[in-house]
Amino acid sequence: MKIRATIFKEFLLLVRDPGGMALIFLMPLALVIVMALIQDAPFRDYQEIKLEVLLVDQDNDSLSHKIKRALESSGNITVVNETDLERANKLVQAGDFKASIVLRKGTTQSLKKKTEQLIGKIIRNMGVETPLIDSVEAPAVQLDLYFDPAIKVNYKQALGEGIEKIVAQVQSEWIIMELQSQLSSGENKYPKVKFNPGDMMVVNQQYASDKPKERLALNSVQHNVPAWTMFAMFFILFPLASNFIKEREEGSMLRLRLISGSQFPVIAGKFSFYFFVCMLQFVLMIAVGIFVMPSLGLNKLILGNNVFGILVTACSVGMAATGYGLLIAVFFKTPQQALSFGSISVVILSALGGVWVPVYVMPEVLQTISKFSPLQWGLESFTDLFLRNANTLAILPNTIKLMTFSFVTLIASFLIHKSRIIS
Amino acid sequence: MSGAIVQIDNVSKQYKGAQQPAISHLNLEIQKGSVFGLLGPNGAGKSTLVMLLCGLLRPDEGSIQVMDLKVGESSAAIREKIGVAPQEIALFPTLTAHENLFYFGRMYGLQTDVLKKRIDEYVNTFGLQDKMHKRVQTFSGGMKRRLNLIAALLHDPSLIILDEPTAGVDVQSRNMILEFLLSLKSKGVTILYSSHFLEEAERICTHLAIVDEGKLLITGIPQVLLGENPDCKNLEDLFLKRTGKTMRD
Repeated sequence: MKIRATIFKEFLLLVRDPGGMALIFLMPLALVIVMALIQDAPFRDYQEIKLEVLLVDQDNDSLSHKIKRALESSGNITVVNETDLERANKLVQAGDFKASIVLRKGTTQSLKKKTEQLIGKIIRNMGVETPLIDSVEAPAVQLDLYFDPAIKVNYKQALGEGIEKIVAQVQSEWIIMELQSQLSSGENKYPKVKFNPGDMMVVNQQYASDKPKERLALNSVQHNVPAWTMFAMFFILFPLASNFIKEREEGSMLRLRLISGSQFPVIAGKFSFYFFVCMLQFVLMIAVGIFVMPSLGLNKLILGNNVFGILVTACSVGMAATGYGLLIAVFFKTPQQALSFGSISVVILSALGGVWVPVYVMPEVLQTISKFSPLQWGLESFTDLFLRNANTLAILPNTIKLMTFSFVTLIASFLIHKSRIIS
Repeated sequence: MSGAIVQIDNVSKQYKGAQQPAISHLNLEIQKGSVFGLLGPNGAGKSTLVMLLCGLLRPDEGSIQVMDLKVGESSAAIREKIGVAPQEIALFPTLTAHENLFYFGRMYGLQTDVLKKRIDEYVNTFGLQDKMHKRVQTFSGGMKRRLNLIAALLHDPSLIILDEPTAGVDVQSRNMILEFLLSLKSKGVTILYSSHFLEEAERICTHLAIVDEGKLLITGIPQVLLGENPDCKNLEDLFLKRTGKTMRD
């Protein structure tokens, strides 16, 4: 009865505090949407990014045509033709294009000649007579790539490797063709075999998942929605601590101290109410991820299949957040102290927990420290559930840590609060 | 403890970092059914003594018994039997008067029917029936004081402790509160009335004590004390005689 009365009282206090309501519901919604939008581009990998590349095709022969076709068929690169090399360099330098590919005049012919020389040498070494080709070894054929100085390293690497791959395929195709051509010269006439290097071996890439056909790649929405939901849940300490300290300053807490047996219901009622608020925040933010994000051009949040696991994780994060907020509320004596420490500590815990950037990109020392952040425990569980379709057993270690954190903070809050009744 | 509802024996209390004790070797008895005036200038130690009686402060030495229960050992049981109206307005400003009383009543463990009956009774007594669904933050000082007092009475306590119950209120509210206290006096309810309004004390108190700098200066029945000090026309003269005319802050 006393706990229920406290829950109802907390409800009335919150609904009559428009600032507190906005802080709990509107700010986190705005935050998760803005962060998902901002981090959308960085989260998209090379496969999802459209790069505009200039092609300075002075060669205008089979090699340049093959490179152009291969780049365009990748779906990620838009090739724009440019005839003036100097202008192309300026455009790339200015960042208007991410890169330019320069094929000098005669590149195809040089590569063909180099191939003929190589095959001729091999065949002659095998003792087979072939028409003599120019014995002066041609220099290595050069293909130039110019990059925007501000291009991301991974884009540069991916584009460079992509071009090298195309050239390697063309080379292997030409080598086989040249081999067949030289072997069937003179009296030896063999039918030529059409060769496509792509038919030899296929590298099949997919995400390790029970349902590989479902799209489970980590993207801005999959990261930001659970991450910033937890951040918002931990910011429950703002209304919790400010209301608590206000009650202490205004005197209503004194009256409660004068009522026998009211301390446990006060703490338990506050904990229950704000835990419920955390759950409400969670549902709202998840709904935004599913229904609002796609309308903003972002990916839809995919929850995976373990609804029970999500519920357990959400509850344990909510409990941890409320417990932490309560501890801050009872420990500090002024709102300034509580809110300053509380907000900075949540920002630090969230940064360490991988809310801002994934933990795996952090230095090793921070990766070790991050193991102690409750937000990391929660985020790891959500990632396991959303992206890896983890079962409940797999998320249990992290949820146990979160619940233990919650119980420790709750018990500490109760003991500190009780110790301050009598001084 | 012959008829004493409160027995204070040699109690001292000094706050951390304070130069002087707030209460120093204080002995006091409050008889059942009396209206006991605890008088003293600002900083005399009245509020500290009230907090000690409620068990919210622990004495450095000495002992306090309330209704045969030792404060410290049985503070929870004592708090069930006493009603305290603290000096500050101990209410939730954004809740209505009804919501405040209902919440505190619930925390006292009162059932809905009993609680409703008591709320109706007290709000009528204190003339707040039309304001019950207004938020406390919109109340005048006098209305807040009255509501603060009602919140202390909901659980029907045997001992009522009032710390400056008429501070900052208008004449009407003050009169209403004093009339109510007189009605309680006639019913034999024990009241500890801490104030520095000496006229009020003279009007309602059956016994009083004057404290200053944490020490008991004088205690007894007002008329007897005035009889023993013929140079004092009233309690104010007696008060100034005992506490001096030095300004207190």
